[in-house]
Amino acid sequence: METKLVSYYSDSYSEHAALLSGQSVLWLQALRHAALETFAATGFPTLREEEWKYTNVTAIEKHRFKPVANSEAINAELLKTYLLDDMWNLVFVDGKFSAEHSQLDGLNNEVEFHNLAYVLATQPEKLEPYLAQAVSNDEHNFVAFNTAWFNDGLFLNIPAHQVLTKPIQILHLTVSPDCLATSRNIFVAGKNSEAQIIETFVGENAYLNTVVNEVFLAENANLTIHKLQSESKQAYHFGGTYVKQQPHARFQHHNFSFGALLARTDLHVDLETAAECSLNGLYLGVKRQHIDTHTRINHNKPHGISREFYKGILDNRARGVFQGRIVVAKDAQQTDSDMHNRNLLLSANAEVDTKPQLEIYADDVKCAHGVTVGQLEEKSIFYLQSRGINIATARNILTFAFANEMVEMVSIPTLKKLLATKLLNLLPV
Amino acid sequence: MSTTNTEIENLIGQEYKQGFVTELEVDTFPIGLDEDVIRKLSKVKNEPEFMLEYRLKAFRHWQTMENPNWAQLNIEPIDYQAISYYSAPKKKEKLGSLDEVDPELLETYKKLGIPLDEQKQLAGVEIAVDAVFDSVSVATTFKGKLLDAGVIFCPISEAIKDYPELIKQYLSSVVTVQDNFFAALNAAVFTDGSFVYIPKGVRCPMELSTYFRINASNTGQFERTLIIADEGSHVSYLEGCSAPQRDENQLHAAVVELIALKDSEIKYSTVQNWYPGDKNGKGGIYNFVTKRADCRGDNSKVSWTQVETGSAITWKYPSCVLTGDNSVGEFYSVALTNNYQQADTGTKMIHIGKNTSSTIISKGISAGRAQNTYRGLVKVLKNAENARNYTQCDSLLVGDKCGAHTFPYIEVKQPTAQVEHEATTSKISEDQLFFCQQRGLSAEDAVSMIVNGFCKEVFKELPMEFAVEAQALLGISLEGSVG
Repeated sequence: METKLVSYYSDSYSEHAALLSGQSVLWLQALRHAALETFAATGFPTLREEEWKYTNVTAIEKHRFKPVANSEAINAELLKTYLLDDMWNLVFVDGKFSAEHSQLDGLNNEVEFHNLAYVLATQPEKLEPYLAQAVSNDEHNFVAFNTAWFNDGLFLNIPAHQVLTKPIQILHLTVSPDCLATSRNIFVAGKNSEAQIIETFVGENAYLNTVVNEVFLAENANLTIHKLQSESKQAYHFGGTYVKQQPHARFQHHNFSFGALLARTDLHVDLETAAECSLNGLYLGVKRQHIDTHTRINHNKPHGISREFYKGILDNRARGVFQGRIVVAKDAQQTDSDMHNRNLLLSANAEVDTKPQLEIYADDVKCAHGVTVGQLEEKSIFYLQSRGINIATARNILTFAFANEMVEMVSIPTLKKLLATKLLNLLPV
Repeated sequence: MSTTNTEIENLIGQEYKQGFVTELEVDTFPIGLDEDVIRKLSKVKNEPEFMLEYRLKAFRHWQTMENPNWAQLNIEPIDYQAISYYSAPKKKEKLGSLDEVDPELLETYKKLGIPLDEQKQLAGVEIAVDAVFDSVSVATTFKGKLLDAGVIFCPISEAIKDYPELIKQYLSSVVTVQDNFFAALNAAVFTDGSFVYIPKGVRCPMELSTYFRINASNTGQFERTLIIADEGSHVSYLEGCSAPQRDENQLHAAVVELIALKDSEIKYSTVQNWYPGDKNGKGGIYNFVTKRADCRGDNSKVSWTQVETGSAITWKYPSCVLTGDNSVGEFYSVALTNNYQQADTGTKMIHIGKNTSSTIISKGISAGRAQNTYRGLVKVLKNAENARNYTQCDSLLVGDKCGAHTFPYIEVKQPTAQVEHEATTSKISEDQLFFCQQRGLSAEDAVSMIVNGFCKEVFKELPMEFAVEAQALLGISLEGSVG
């Protein structure tokens, strides 16, 4: 079975390669072929790999996903719901940039802001210092897969001292059945620059969406990324974000995983001296959803600060997986790191597997983690009931309150409103 | 800062007192392992046929397995054909009493401070001891007195001959021969160990203990311990160990199985002080142990307490399978690593029955260039309604060249379960040290005091005599490491 699949993606590669961007760029072709070889050797990750112990991706093998040349018509309703006002919007349909739906009016000319296919066609040398530099193909085979297959994406280069006045929204919309949407995004934030990004994933039908973000923060840059994963309920989603932070850079990540049949998010942050990161997230699974989040924070140099707070809600037969790994290198004295993961199980068939990890090689550090798994508190439910609220509503109120704490951390009002609405819609009626 | 580190380093490098070798005439198998060696072993031990079959089955399975490498450990490859699988002191035909034990051996245990002389023990602190020397049990005290109470306490090799039914029923019923690489190897070649059976409703009249001693070189020690607590019984069992100081690494791969039936309680305490290797990480014991308890009956309880200060590499996870409703599992651990020692240790709590609860308190102390890892699993299965777990893992770093790691796994399939996990890592703060020194304590005493305080929650679970020993041991192991 496995050999069949590996050969499907290896064999059909030459057939589809013409569709992929950057055909004439030699260094990219070499990179893609190396990636394809890495992937072909073992295929998608299996449960035998420690990092994939709880996430079985064999279901992907039942499909034959492929890149789409001409996309189906777009559901305008979806766009309307998810495109947020008062920001620059970029829309990717089936993994390809759609100028028609994007709007970038008023963006400072100094900010380089292009889709990847365009940059590869015009100035590919601009990408060379960044592509595959924040993450290597050896990370795991989804990354190698992405490198071999990516078609488009975004190249954002914010020059030093620039502060973007509005957030940038990148909306990934996948509509064609059995579509293989593969995108690669490069975010570069110059010294003292500041920006906010919102990644939104929505779609219809069954498809595979893999996204790899490579993020480079120069000294004292400040970047916030929000991820709203609200893929179709039959979709498979893999999203990896790999961040390199120079000294004093600050990075905030807000991760909301609501959609997809099987979703996996990887988030890796490398911190140099006195860099700070804060990773917050909420995963909410219903029906047979499987939502997996893997984070790794590498404190490489002294005085780094990291904060991580993830909450999970699992209902019906859903399964949540969380791994948070904090590595403090030998030199990273005075590291201050704190991680929490709280999980709420709402049904007898739901499951959560959580793996917080501390790996510490320096002695003068302050590191802690905590995990809880439990259900709604009887006393709180009783309190609400005693005030005349029926039990179902009481449970919803408490579940919403549990989740809303993560929404409240978001500072963009329109996004906050969208998240709260999504959340309310997801609660059982 | 740097001066403090030097002080710490000076404080560590303490010598290992149990590192002497006993000169004895021994029977030793030539090195190597194949089916013939196992047949010969079974024959030497005069075992019934079923044991040979059991061993061969385990050996055949072991041959299909690979040496595991998932732990956070750096292990030199082990050549299993370069080890002798049997070494025993030559002895007279049958030992009638302690008087017939080789005086050299008695002297050895005297030197180690292990009481093998029933009369000479202080009134009130009677402890029955099974002394295992390399591959065989050389003496077991208070056997008679225990038998009067109905308690069976004897070397497992004797139990195989005398109580084959119990062995057939319980051996490998918790840790199967296929369980893992070292358990399979152990099942194939184990030579001795202790066997305990506490009958229904009996509270064992004294503490039971086994002292393991490795003496011969180029041998491995493979011991097997089996403890069965029948309905409503209670037993407290202690385990200690030591080995001579040698430059090569020696393998110790033991299996311990505990079975707690309805309403029974087993308390299992270990003070592990195998030779840890020298200051440069040369030599020392590889301590690869599988310990597991099955709380088979309702309301049963198993409590593991361990103080791990020895061994070059420690790799063990004393676990509880909480099968019975309302059963309780506890794990209290202090693991101290110094110099080049490595430890990857923790526990597994598998909640199967309803209202089961477990507590994990783990204290890891890492000094010198050591690496200390807590690895634990808390698994709540679907039917384990109202399961409860509380886990606390604290790590203390002494010096800036060591590492402390925490790898918990939490898997919950039951919404009424309540699982909590907390972990912290820190160092002894300059403030704490200064405070103690300012009150007239030396830096070393201050560190020892702080470390003892850090470990107090675990020490209070140890039987009294052990607690004293453990504290002293901690002091010795930390000597030169204070910071």
